[in-house]
Amino acid sequence: MTFVSIRDLRVAFDGVQVLHGVDLDIRQGEAVGLVGESGCGKSVTWLAALGLLPGKAKVSGSVRLDGQELVGAPRPAIEKVRGKRIAMIFQDPSSSLNPVQRVGKQIMESLRLHRGLKGRDARAEAIRLLDMVGIPSAATRVDLYPHEFSGGQCQRIMIAMALAGEPDLLIADEPTTALDATIQAQILDLLGTIRRETGMAMVFISHDLGAVSVVCDRAVVMYAGRIVEANNIRSLFSAPRHPYTAGLFAAIPDIDADRGRLVPIHGTVPDPKNLPTGCAFSPRCPRATAFCQTDRPHLRPQSGGGDVACFQPVAAPKAFPALRQEALA
Amino acid sequence: MTAPLLQARGLVQEYATARSFFGKTSTVRAVDGIDLTVRQGEILGIVGESGSGKSTLGRMLLGLETPAGGEVLYQGAPMPAPRTDAWRKLRAQMQLIFQDPLAALDRRMTIAAQIAEPLEIHGIAKGAEAAERLAALMARVGLRRDQADRYPHELSGGQRQRVVIARALATNPGFLVCDEPVSALDVSIQAQVVNLLRDLQEQEGLTMVFISHDLKVVRNICDRVAVMYLGRVVEEAPSDLLFADPRHPYTRALVSSIPKPGQGLHGRIILQGEPPNPAARPAGCAFHPRCAFADRGCAARVPELQHDGRRQIACLKPDAAAATAA
Repeated sequence: MTFVSIRDLRVAFDGVQVLHGVDLDIRQGEAVGLVGESGCGKSVTWLAALGLLPGKAKVSGSVRLDGQELVGAPRPAIEKVRGKRIAMIFQDPSSSLNPVQRVGKQIMESLRLHRGLKGRDARAEAIRLLDMVGIPSAATRVDLYPHEFSGGQCQRIMIAMALAGEPDLLIADEPTTALDATIQAQILDLLGTIRRETGMAMVFISHDLGAVSVVCDRAVVMYAGRIVEANNIRSLFSAPRHPYTAGLFAAIPDIDADRGRLVPIHGTVPDPKNLPTGCAFSPRCPRATAFCQTDRPHLRPQSGGGDVACFQPVAAPKAFPALRQEALA
Repeated sequence: MTAPLLQARGLVQEYATARSFFGKTSTVRAVDGIDLTVRQGEILGIVGESGSGKSTLGRMLLGLETPAGGEVLYQGAPMPAPRTDAWRKLRAQMQLIFQDPLAALDRRMTIAAQIAEPLEIHGIAKGAEAAERLAALMARVGLRRDQADRYPHELSGGQRQRVVIARALATNPGFLVCDEPVSALDVSIQAQVVNLLRDLQEQEGLTMVFISHDLKVVRNICDRVAVMYLGRVVEEAPSDLLFADPRHPYTRALVSSIPKPGQGLHGRIILQGEPPNPAARPAGCAFHPRCAFADRGCAARVPELQHDGRRQIACLKPDAAAATAA
């Protein structure tokens, strides 16, 4: 069942359009990865949906949560959704926590706002949440300040705070980017465990394709403010169809392959003030034709599954699984 | 085996931290006894988590910090004392490339002026010769001629990093320390800069120390890799060997933490506990509180780095770790 439905979401800052009509559905309980390079609009999509952008941002389109429209909704209505139905965690936990307030108190504030818990009940629940996200001896550390925890632990505390409202959807915006490799692995593992235990849906925003592949069911690739490809993880990673997606995979060193030269994508991400006509990726695309420079492709469902916005997609593997079965038989 | 360009012997670095209100200080050992050899023409990778001392090590290798103990030999000779003429001369031969190019560049100078500045400072070229050298440097790193009069904020992140590299190359150095040179760049741009560094090694025989937490990039570009944990090298091996067959329990966890598509969350080694804190170093092997194979001996004795075929490893129980890996 669709929980959040985004239709034709557009965002402009000072007259510069940065999001050019995004359509995206999040079903109950699923984990969706949102990938792309800086400035592609992956974070802006959700900041706009939750009304977290500054006043100068012009947002249009529709974001429906269980049928309730969020774009242009009055503040009290959005505040009932934020933190309660949809919670969000960010890249840098230490700047999201209040440095002069004990962590337990910050979690209890969330519990009071979203679940009406007070006093001893709230404290017991805060300790339970800290325990759940893997803070050792939570009962004694609930009264410590954020600086008394490490970066990884602060991210755990942020996750505990996000879970306080028992949200149906968690938006995790680069939650592991600032963390060390072994701590990153811990947090990804924790997010997986929480999802199994609570059935909560998750949107995982990241430029780290590896991390996305590990925690998500499907992924959406964005480029210059538009979705260019969407598919389940297995298909997307084994057979990317959009040349940009294929280029991203080729640019990342493969840990099991030869240590050969990397294959970069030529050129740079376009300036949002000065987007190329036609497909925004065409100036960097090895497959682009003259047509790609004048006309813009729309996101279309493909016969083999997934959606792609490209006139010249990379060929899908032809009935590869069937061949394999024959070979096995 | 080619001759060592740079050797570090028993390097130690300590910093004083103000501990209490009454001004009592304590010392933090950021680097705790490192022996390292960088051979002519190779790229040596240094990996480790924050606080492991990799950046401090890089700065000491360049002579930008004076070690509290031990010594660095460049081409067999000890590092001259800072701010002497000999030290300044050596600066031209050794360069540092930082993570954040915007912070490393002067916002009020055109990129041409910044790339050409070292030519003037070190008295390498003037006038028409300098202009020629500037054009060659810009072409070398893939910057267009028409970008010469731009300011750093007018360039993209990848282009800025190219400016930093061009400036580092201006003095014709033999040795580069790259401290997280691609970490701030987008994936598609990262590959461009990695390839550029690779070309510099292959075509001009540049020797590099490549410090990074991005293990995939390190495996791709480095010939050899040293893994650091709390100021010490715990394992060092040729890149292929280290990533295909890591032996130290910490290296194994690190390699296992690289997310692989299709693998999901299964089979990954999830280390318990927190990243190391140099101000509270555990006794014995610094890794033992997080190690699945540690016993009482590991808490008492500091393992020395020992040769084992083509690798060096500092672990008291490498066999226990290897047995579970098989």
